[in-house]
Amino acid sequence: MPEHDALMRVFWPTDLPRSDLKGVVVGWRNSALDVFVLAILEEVEPRNVETALQIGTLLRNAPHSLNRIYELCGQSSIRVLGLSNTPESVDIDSSWIRVATGQGRRVPTVTCARASSIQIILFERPLPGRMQYISLNPIALALGDKKGRFRQDFNDSGEEDDEKEEHLLKAKKRQLVEKLKQHSVIKHAPSAKERALAKIVNQINWAWELEQLLQKNVSRIGTRPKRSLSVSERVVESATTARDMMVVWMWNLFTIYVLPIFQRLFVLGLMAHRVAAEVLLFFLEWRARPKYAALKDISATAQQVEIRLLQFCYWPMQYVTLRLRKNDWESVTTSHPDYIRFYNSLWLVANDVIIGIALGSYIIDNSSWVGEEISNLLSTYTVEALQSSISWLMGWPAGLKLNSELAVFLGDLFLWVIDYWSNCIEALRPVLPHIIWFIGFSSFAGASMPIALFSDLLSILTIHIYSFYLASARIYHWQLNILISLFHLFRGKKHNVLRNRIDSCDYDLDQLLVGTILFTLLFFLLPTVVVFYLNFAIARMAIITLKAVFDTMLSCLNHFPLFAIMLRVKDPRRLPGGVRFELRDTQDFRHGVNDTPKPLPSTSVIYLKSIPLNFKAMFHQYFQMGHRIRKHYLSPHVLLCLLTGKFVPPLNRKNLYSLQYSMLPARRAGIMEMWDAVNSLPSPKRRAAPIIVPVLANGKKLSSNGGRIRGHGKGWGSNS
Amino acid sequence: MLTTPPHLYIRRPSPTTAEFTVTTRPPLTLPLRLALTSLTVLRLLVAIITLFTLYIRFHALLLPPSSSFPSDLSPQQHHLYLWSLTTHHLERARLSPAGQFISTQITTNLPEWTHLALAMAVLYLSLTIPLHTTESLLVLRGLGIQTSTTTGNLLGGICWPWGMGGKEAKPATTRFIPTEKIRDVLINEAFRGFEVRYYLIVVVEGEEEVVVVFPRLLPRRKIVEAVWRGVRGCLHEAPMEGGGWYNGRDGHKN
Repeated sequence: MPEHDALMRVFWPTDLPRSDLKGVVVGWRNSALDVFVLAILEEVEPRNVETALQIGTLLRNAPHSLNRIYELCGQSSIRVLGLSNTPESVDIDSSWIRVATGQGRRVPTVTCARASSIQIILFERPLPGRMQYISLNPIALALGDKKGRFRQDFNDSGEEDDEKEEHLLKAKKRQLVEKLKQHSVIKHAPSAKERALAKIVNQINWAWELEQLLQKNVSRIGTRPKRSLSVSERVVESATTARDMMVVWMWNLFTIYVLPIFQRLFVLGLMAHRVAAEVLLFFLEWRARPKYAALKDISATAQQVEIRLLQFCYWPMQYVTLRLRKNDWESVTTSHPDYIRFYNSLWLVANDVIIGIALGSYIIDNSSWVGEEISNLLSTYTVEALQSSISWLMGWPAGLKLNSELAVFLGDLFLWVIDYWSNCIEALRPVLPHIIWFIGFSSFAGASMPIALFSDLLSILTIHIYSFYLASARIYHWQLNILISLFHLFRGKKHNVLRNRIDSCDYDLDQLLVGTILFTLLFFLLPTVVVFYLNFAIARMAIITLKAVFDTMLSCLNHFPLFAIMLRVKDPRRLPGGVRFELRDTQDFRHGVNDTPKPLPSTSVIYLKSIPLNFKAMFHQYFQMGHRIRKHYLSPHVLLCLLTGKFVPPLNRKNLYSLQYSMLPARRAGIMEMWDAVNSLPSPKRRAAPIIVPVLANGKKLSSNGGRIRGHGKGWGSNS
Repeated sequence: MLTTPPHLYIRRPSPTTAEFTVTTRPPLTLPLRLALTSLTVLRLLVAIITLFTLYIRFHALLLPPSSSFPSDLSPQQHHLYLWSLTTHHLERARLSPAGQFISTQITTNLPEWTHLALAMAVLYLSLTIPLHTTESLLVLRGLGIQTSTTTGNLLGGICWPWGMGGKEAKPATTRFIPTEKIRDVLINEAFRGFEVRYYLIVVVEGEEEVVVVFPRLLPRRKIVEAVWRGVRGCLHEAPMEGGGWYNGRDGHKN
């Protein structure tokens, strides 16, 4: 098979046992000069290995279907790739590799008759039992089907300006890159080796499990006289298995008669809760009209309840997916992100409840004191502070000579409303400890609940500030608009609405006179209105900041990647963030080899390593949320709104909470779907009676079957 | 003396594999090693002294008042535990004349928060500012291209003068691009401030942005061209003859 450059690529696991014995190298042959080593079978004849591979002896007793291996590894069979530690005198097939390995060498020496240069790519096999794996792309901690849903929701909201701008920028960049792409003259068709990379990643992930299987079956290779057990051995055998038989009988009794009843009851209870959740969710998501806000968009508590309910709806589905994982090879890595997400959300909820219980018992024990404090705070900051600031504004604040009549009028107006409001708060005071007690009680459902409730309570108890802000902003905005149009009049111009431009206009003398007088009047009144407006705008901004703090706490409690961080510390290989290659110097291992009669082909030794996911990627969602908040509140647009007295819209809750929904699917599974999924769980397998005819002639008992099934039979909650 | 303008090293164990490293670190000679060692020691010293001032200022928070003991206490009683040993020596250092001098100087001149902020800044600067930047491009035929940058991570400022022979420090960021996805490797030019810089880019299939090779150092055109030729020859089978044509000068402005 002629290739352009006889470059041979050998993938070699570094953690293969190194021995000086003769052996047969088996593995995948991805193309003629691209081989992937799985195992070295020692002390066997290559011809026997070949026949064993052909008739499948080496893969006997596989726990799951073999087709799955071939499908994922992209090859139809495992081949003999070469020989290890064979003397040069032995003739071998020209496509086979000759490997020298041993205790002393860190890197095996590979030669091949056909290859003129060799890349040895060394990798450490990820352990599938510990859920380690490698992947070319970083593991996705968030579910990835969100985009469409949120785009659709925001087509008509004020967010669109920012998004549009972003889209335009992106499109521009894409165009530039497209242009750059046109410069490439030659398009290289990818060779077989280059296309094989995705398959090779799978092969690396499978390497450990396949080697175990192959090594287990090595003893079957070759013809060995099989001897049946002698009578005395049989007696010993049955004596030792009698106890096991009893245990198995009891276990089967339990799994067949008792366990299904409990399971059934549990599933029925679960379904009842699911129906209740559906009803609640209907109320939370109900909109009078498609464009109106639903309850969950207005209130943080409703949002929090909705998130918990959605999580509750999603967990059984996730659990079923994870359970089905057990029916497949451990090397299949597709469900590992699901596993991390599932346990992350479980852990977060558990954490939330634990913190909540602590917080709740504190609040309940001190409900009267907390209520007292809160009402004090309310009366100090939302009533007295406002009153004092308004009276300060009424009497020429900071040396500004305001219009006293207007200031007194405005101030009296606001003071009157505040008085009325303080009466309301006074009326509320005796009820407050009860409310606080209720909030404390709710925190047994998680610390996020009281936080959400406090956030809502804050919005309700500061509604007067919100309305003051609205009123003063409106007045200020009107006045500013009138001033602008009067200024045009003053200059002999007017704003042409039809063409959206400034036209010159001939005004009469009296029009001009009245307009100018009004302009002067309003201009001198402007500072008075401005100070009032600024006062309430600042108060409003303070409240928004406070709510932002609450929201941040909520998002930390609901979405902190706790499990991922724990994994990152405990076992970084479970969170792959891509691969990295390291070129090693060739000299440092070659001078140790003194038995090479002829020069080796030029060899490059490359280490393939998995990069753990970096922390930035873990907190990607937080960065995105921070970016969004910053863009919403610190943009020039908002400053302009503040300056001209236009209403600053609060950041849409949905937008802010896209972070929290990133761990939930866009569409929740329906009740029937869940019923089907829960019932599709495999029933616990009957444990086979341990009448084992020993496979090995020397009487070693293989206990692989029994041990594995024991892991299956525990039903709900055994998977952790 | 400690740094040079970026220069290129090429490692090529076989014709199909090459690593191009651009670094500001001059080749390690004995005087340079000595200088680097002394600089590292100096930086560590600064860090330790800063930590010590922090200890002097906030030792009351660290030790409960009951366990602070006079300096004349015999150390044998406290050798039982590492913690008490450390605190004992720290206390002795604090009560020594130098420690007293520092503590009076600091407590009179700096308020607490300024001191804390300043100390943090000094610690950060002394430990993390990297002296050298090393960026490399690894080309593996049949696999792909990998760019890596070694810059200041934690303790990036401490350059170990002995471990620099063959093995480089672990790169802070790497990015691997499989050959399948590489559309092309080009030399581009761009305005940067008041100069024109030539730089190597990798155009990646299906991505919105191009990948800039050597993004921090942005070496001179001579180096970039050499690397470009090397990549051309190494990346694909059927190597082209030493850059007979050159599609880098496309005048594409960024």
